[in-house]
Amino acid sequence: MQVEQFYYDNKTVKWFAYAVMVWGLVGMLVGLWASIAMFYPPINLGFAPTTFGRMRPVHTNAVIFAFVGNGIFMGVYYSLQRLCKSRMFSDALSKIHFWGWQLIIVAAALTLWMGNTTGKEYAELEWPIDIAITLVWVVFGINLFGTIIKRRESHIYVAIWFYIATWVTVAMLHIVNSMELPISFLKSYSMYAGVQDALVQWWYGHNAVAFFLTTPYLGLMYYFLPKAANRPVYSYRLSIIHFWALIFIYIWAGPHHLLYTALPDWAQSLGTVFSIMLIAPSWGGMLNGLFTLRGAWDKVREEPVLKFLVVAVTCYGMATFEGPLLSLKNVNAISHFTDWTIAHVHVGALGWNGFMTFGVLYYLIPKMWNTTLYSKRLAGAHFWLGTIGIVLYAVPLYWAGFTQSMMWKSFTEEGQLKFQFLETVTHILPMYIARSVGGAVYIVGAVIMVYNLIKTVGQGSFVADEAAEAAPLSAHVELHGHHHWHRWIEKRPMQMLVFSLVAVAIGGAIEMVPTFLVKSNIPTISSVKPYTPLELHGRDIYIREGCYLCHSQMVRPFRDEVARYGEYSKAGEFIYDHPFQWGSKRTGPDLARVGGKYPDSWHYNHMLDPQSMSPGSIMPTYSWMYDNDINAFRTPKMIWAMRKLGVPYEEGYENKCNADLQKQATEIANGLKADKINVKPEKEIVALIAYLQRLGKDIKAAPKSTTAQVTEAGILGN
Amino acid sequence: MRTICRTSFLTLFLSIICAVSANAQAPAPSSMSNSFVVLMVTIIGFLALIIALLAYVLVNAASIKVENELKEKAANLGKTTLVLLIGAVLLVSTSAYAQSGEAASNISTTVSEATYYTLASVAVLELGIILTMLLMLRSVISVNKPATAADADAVVSKAPTVSWWDKINSFKPIQQEADIDLGHNYDGIRELDNRLPPWWLYGFYCCILFAVIYLWRFHVAESAPLSKEEYEIAVADAEVAKAAYLEKSANNVDENTVKLLTDEASLAPARKIFETTCAACHNKNGSGSVGPNLTDDYWLHGGSIQDVFKTLKYGWPEKGMKSWKDDYSPMQLAQLASFVKSLRGTNPPSPKAPQGVLYQEAGVKPDSAAAPKKDSTVVTSTK
Repeated sequence: MQVEQFYYDNKTVKWFAYAVMVWGLVGMLVGLWASIAMFYPPINLGFAPTTFGRMRPVHTNAVIFAFVGNGIFMGVYYSLQRLCKSRMFSDALSKIHFWGWQLIIVAAALTLWMGNTTGKEYAELEWPIDIAITLVWVVFGINLFGTIIKRRESHIYVAIWFYIATWVTVAMLHIVNSMELPISFLKSYSMYAGVQDALVQWWYGHNAVAFFLTTPYLGLMYYFLPKAANRPVYSYRLSIIHFWALIFIYIWAGPHHLLYTALPDWAQSLGTVFSIMLIAPSWGGMLNGLFTLRGAWDKVREEPVLKFLVVAVTCYGMATFEGPLLSLKNVNAISHFTDWTIAHVHVGALGWNGFMTFGVLYYLIPKMWNTTLYSKRLAGAHFWLGTIGIVLYAVPLYWAGFTQSMMWKSFTEEGQLKFQFLETVTHILPMYIARSVGGAVYIVGAVIMVYNLIKTVGQGSFVADEAAEAAPLSAHVELHGHHHWHRWIEKRPMQMLVFSLVAVAIGGAIEMVPTFLVKSNIPTISSVKPYTPLELHGRDIYIREGCYLCHSQMVRPFRDEVARYGEYSKAGEFIYDHPFQWGSKRTGPDLARVGGKYPDSWHYNHMLDPQSMSPGSIMPTYSWMYDNDINAFRTPKMIWAMRKLGVPYEEGYENKCNADLQKQATEIANGLKADKINVKPEKEIVALIAYLQRLGKDIKAAPKSTTAQVTEAGILGN
Repeated sequence: MRTICRTSFLTLFLSIICAVSANAQAPAPSSMSNSFVVLMVTIIGFLALIIALLAYVLVNAASIKVENELKEKAANLGKTTLVLLIGAVLLVSTSAYAQSGEAASNISTTVSEATYYTLASVAVLELGIILTMLLMLRSVISVNKPATAADADAVVSKAPTVSWWDKINSFKPIQQEADIDLGHNYDGIRELDNRLPPWWLYGFYCCILFAVIYLWRFHVAESAPLSKEEYEIAVADAEVAKAAYLEKSANNVDENTVKLLTDEASLAPARKIFETTCAACHNKNGSGSVGPNLTDDYWLHGGSIQDVFKTLKYGWPEKGMKSWKDDYSPMQLAQLASFVKSLRGTNPPSPKAPQGVLYQEAGVKPDSAAAPKKDSTVVTSTK
């Protein structure tokens, strides 16, 4: 058969590799900054963009979508061409993909620093950027499938199965979770509310971990690990079983982020059991990786690429074993809302994603520049700094999480809470310091790598178009010995796409459809009323400043939480919350029932100087809320959007809402005057106080007396 | 020989049971209701079962070996095994006593750190024992092998040794890899057709079984408590424990029985609480800021020791005063109320204007001039 000559496109890979290094360092440094704010609040600088609540989403988005995202594309663009024996489908699309993604990253960072956020973790980006992501993802998809279709290899390799599953699932997750109603260029409200929003969000959040941080990287592992070790993949059967089991089961596990919340119990249980069943499929990937190294362990000692890959795969195994354990209710009762979760995700992020990316970079750059690595010793130093960094990062946080949780749950023998919330925070500050040290060590390692790779680039000469040859695909494919039934689909990428979509659609559908349609899942509470216009403004500020990143709004049915915060949260309380604000971490106390707990003047002083009201607090100051006015022109639009989403404001309320807003704001300002505080009613702090004072109050009016309900009849009840 | 082995095995097993039951019973009943403790005890019990099984296998293997060796008139190794076994028995039994002693001194209402570490260390100890026994078993079996196969052609002495690791993964020797090469070639990557690691596969089945049982228990049989039931159980248990404690303690103070305390031993801890908690709203010296002035004679909610205690205990949430009964014990609240009362007449600088109504000390008649002259007599009524 005639052999065809063609060229692999290395240029796009090169650009993605550069982007990985740049965004990786940026994302990690922002993370370090945010971690320092946990024990040294002055680093927030009293400036909105550098405050923790905004730095943290910048950090998470940068490391997930910029660092790992570019890492995925770098690895896919390199391996896909070689596995398909074909150049990428279109150079133009590659270019659009690369620059489009970088623009999205820049836009994401700027808007997040500006405070434009949807308030849903890892999906914080506002609607114009969501649309841009969708478009770029489609471009990537066309390029991906175009290349697969014009391949010169009869079957598609397991790495590509993972790429296909990644593509289709991320598309589904992104579109479903980003359903939002815009009210301006950079402001929108989630279409879902309360419990439903929480379910969709964590279905997304959990599977962003699965299909953005895991499956594409498993694909990379299946290419780069056997290549670097020059060993055959251990078990083809294991590949098949763990691939399908992984993508099918992963999707179901989202509710384990919502154990003990107001989510219906049956959904929580599904989250738990599917997480447990996920252990084996996850470990299948680890075993197939590690067993591939059989007979090559001597190389692992020598070769930096393999060292990084081995630790990456091991961290993957640890994180995917720990994850299911954290999904058991009795473990989750201890770990959730604490730093345990942060430690857990960083074992995955620093170990699995970080080390895998480093390994791939160490592999690719010398290959594409036709040279050898500048210094193996520096790579060795990086390896040890990285490993020590991970340990130093994770161990103190595990300790901090466990300790704090135990302190939260401690009662005296008289039946009183043993510790004030703040005591439990100040107790673990040394662990926070140790964590930052660990993070810094890890970053030093990454800097060494960048230096090493720059030197490598300097000594080599870049091969932009790498010559290759292969025979074109013939209609008849020769079979080798035993023919496995799975070979059928490996020749049919489109069927692969459809079956993957079916596999990942089932779990989400079974959990979401009943939660949306069956009324008994979210029993309504008659005394729960929509927010007033001023409270809506306050809520927007709460979301903008990322309060939900440190404060939960979910009292779980635990003795200590009910004693500390009040009655546990009910599903019916959140039906007007677009988006939900349950949070996932309690660096500060829960706020679900903070309404009426402190006087307005307390909140006023506290937001200006938290340490004055709670000495030792690590909360930053929010001085700009005392200068900025709320945008009252937007109020009618907000009311309109909320009604559109199902919040029962009366028809025509748009025309009256600002009068109500004025009235409530003036009342609060007047009340503050009695406490010798002079504040103009239109300031943001007034709206925020209104919102905080509303939190958790409605339910208190419910059962006690009917008169309370009568006075609360209007939507401006309080 | 066999009887000695049997006895040692029995002792071993019994001592493990001892260890487990000592742990299971000591923190009861309070800790046993804690699901974490239950889980840990289950794990410990499960591990103990494995130890027992292993011990049985080991003892049998050892006795066979000993008999073989007796035939060869070399019982030395058998003795060592026995010594090792007895050592293990001693180790476990001593640890059992240590555990029971520790656990007894550690009766706590929730999972205290001590309970946690005790349970964890027992589990780790058991894992250690299992590992040791596996190693012993391996040595017993592996020494046996060449003895029986010694007469066979010793030419294959270089043949690949099949370790337990190879076995549990059902590894095919690398030398025979070509047999299972599937002939796939993706950019030079080949694929083998190795079997699924058996432990992985059965682990997967176990997880699925777990899932079925879990869903069955919680949602079909409804024999396990859901979140809300779990909460109610926890609160009920806590109430019982609290009542039992208060019964015996002097802490049983409420708004009807509270008495003004004046001794420094009572006021000093209250002062500390006041400075850390109350000062945020009432100022360090009680002169008031967000909250009212506590040093004058005017009270919004009554100025008697009983009233102040009540205010502290239940709060006036709508006015911004939270309830402190979940934060401080009745005794602490009594001390705090007494401390607040002791602030009267301290005349701090720049006090907040009086709020509420004038309160006359009950015990003290107005003529006794206990009420200090106030620079302000304005009474602001509250909203």
